[in-house]
Amino acid sequence: MKTNQTTRRDFLKTTGLTTAAIGFPTIIPATALGNADTPPPSERIVMGGIGLGNMGSGDLGNFLNNPNVQYVAVCDVRGNVRNERKNQVDGKFGNKDCKAYVDFRELLAREDIDAVHIATPDHWHAIQVIEACRNGKDVYCQKPESRTLREGQLMVDTVRRYGRVFSGGSQRVLEDYRDVVRKCWSGELGAIQSINVNVGPLPQACNLPAEPCPDDMDWEMWLGPAPWGPYNAKRCSGSFSIDGSSWRSFSDYSSGGLTDWGAHHFGGATFAADLRELQPTEVTYHDEGGKQYLTFKYPNGVLLTHNMPGKGNLEVVGTPGQKRAAKEVPQYSVKGGIYSDFLNCVRTRGNPFRAIEFAINTACVCHLGMIAYTLKRSLKWDAAKQQFAGDEEANRFVDQARREPWQL
Amino acid sequence: MLDQAFEALKTYDWGVDPKVVQPIDDAIISTRGDAAARKELETRLAAVLKTDASRSAKDVVCRALKTVGTAASVPALAALLPDEKLSHMARYALERIPEPDAGQALRTALPNVAAKLKIGMIASLGVRGEETSVAPLQALLADSDPAVAQAAADALGDINSLTAGKALFNAKPTAGTKAAIADASMECAEKFLAAGNKVAAKATYEKLLSGNPSKQVQLAATRGVQACAAK
Repeated sequence: MKTNQTTRRDFLKTTGLTTAAIGFPTIIPATALGNADTPPPSERIVMGGIGLGNMGSGDLGNFLNNPNVQYVAVCDVRGNVRNERKNQVDGKFGNKDCKAYVDFRELLAREDIDAVHIATPDHWHAIQVIEACRNGKDVYCQKPESRTLREGQLMVDTVRRYGRVFSGGSQRVLEDYRDVVRKCWSGELGAIQSINVNVGPLPQACNLPAEPCPDDMDWEMWLGPAPWGPYNAKRCSGSFSIDGSSWRSFSDYSSGGLTDWGAHHFGGATFAADLRELQPTEVTYHDEGGKQYLTFKYPNGVLLTHNMPGKGNLEVVGTPGQKRAAKEVPQYSVKGGIYSDFLNCVRTRGNPFRAIEFAINTACVCHLGMIAYTLKRSLKWDAAKQQFAGDEEANRFVDQARREPWQL
Repeated sequence: MLDQAFEALKTYDWGVDPKVVQPIDDAIISTRGDAAARKELETRLAAVLKTDASRSAKDVVCRALKTVGTAASVPALAALLPDEKLSHMARYALERIPEPDAGQALRTALPNVAAKLKIGMIASLGVRGEETSVAPLQALLADSDPAVAQAAADALGDINSLTAGKALFNAKPTAGTKAAIADASMECAEKFLAAGNKVAAKATYEKLLSGNPSKQVQLAATRGVQACAAK
């Protein structure tokens, strides 16, 4: 992908010949030189990864095992994770070439890297995606892609400004709800009136006590733009549990289940109901007998409900007896799932299935919901202005100040 | 319950169950629409900032003032801006308080703080988007610390007005600020174009293209020029 890649290929061939000549083992993995099934490095997409714990490790494995990828750099603020992933990459390519970074900015400054995948905690996503785009990288970013409404809009603007390929990281949107999607898009349910999502819990405040920070962890970089708090293993654990034992539980880093699994479920619901290109205009807060739930209203009149009593997850209300014409269901650009879709679009400069606008529109639903639950009242959202209409108090929640020196 | 929560703030520290201060959040909700009760709540919160309460306690207070803060609590918050440990949480509230006093407090404190804190305040001024911040931010484009100058460029891009765009247009980029000034300039150009000011947008893109831009800025600015032609 880069002009110096012929040199890199020549270099690899040369070093291969040299090591053979001086008597080292001559088994060179196909990943190093290429073969019928594996393109040579000069034709591969050069990638690095930022945030390589639980989800990042899974993403790395998927990209690393794709023959179209030459993986060259890992970044994580935890030394043990960083070293394990570097060794994993080096083992794959049979060399020691993978560079390991604590600071993502050094990785993003490398001109030889075409694309990155990002799986840091949510409070880092916007800063890292925007910095990646400014450095000319294509980006695969784990969901939820943004932490605030303002972040989402700035991410869309930046991806489009620099003409980058961006894929959000929810494979479930297309893959988990196929039956609901088929029923909606086939027209058999008629016009969709409403669809419900059940997901939770909401996040909690974090005031955990200080614990000794591991020597190989850069705590300041883990916190980054989030409010300062002392190291505590639960505060930064990447566990998928949302029960106070992981960063996903705490409101400084995540909106809990509402954005975590919410990104999947709301993404699936808005895809099924063909609302991907829209943002809600109203959020109605209900509190009935101690049970809180929400109704999002879209400009086309379709309702999206959250935790509505008596409704199942992705339960659709259509217009029985009024069958509509079928529409072709959008798909990934190639077979092989969301990772292959992203890589194919890096080559073709197309839009992946989870293009930035679709990803951010889903995140918007989650953030609007979080604000309505926080303020315990209904809201009106002006998507064009990215503001709550005439609601000074709610507009205070469109964004939050980042800890210096971090800014968008 | 609220009285107990304020009492708890006196000894609140890391490790204390945050449920003891939950009544403060509850009061934020229950006082909505009751100006007198809100004012009383705000006054009590701001008073905590003047005590020797812990960092964790003042963190709780600043979060609450993000929602209920007005010009009345700006002086107490502004007093925390030079404090390395509390500056961010002061901005956490000040950035979102719509009254101009909040912006003025940030501008007043700006020259008197260390570079790292200054970057945060610059960012908050950008998010607030006040025209009165353009001149001080423009001056900081020439700051000897590239991180400060970059932050000023980003903030001007956030303000995204014609005067902010002009300030960026007239800036003299250095190696350390070139990318930030280019990005902020394009942010302004996009707004100019959307508002129908094709002349200002095209001039911005053409200036960037004439300045030996990076590959990614060249691509972005070329697309901008094309967008101007198509509009």
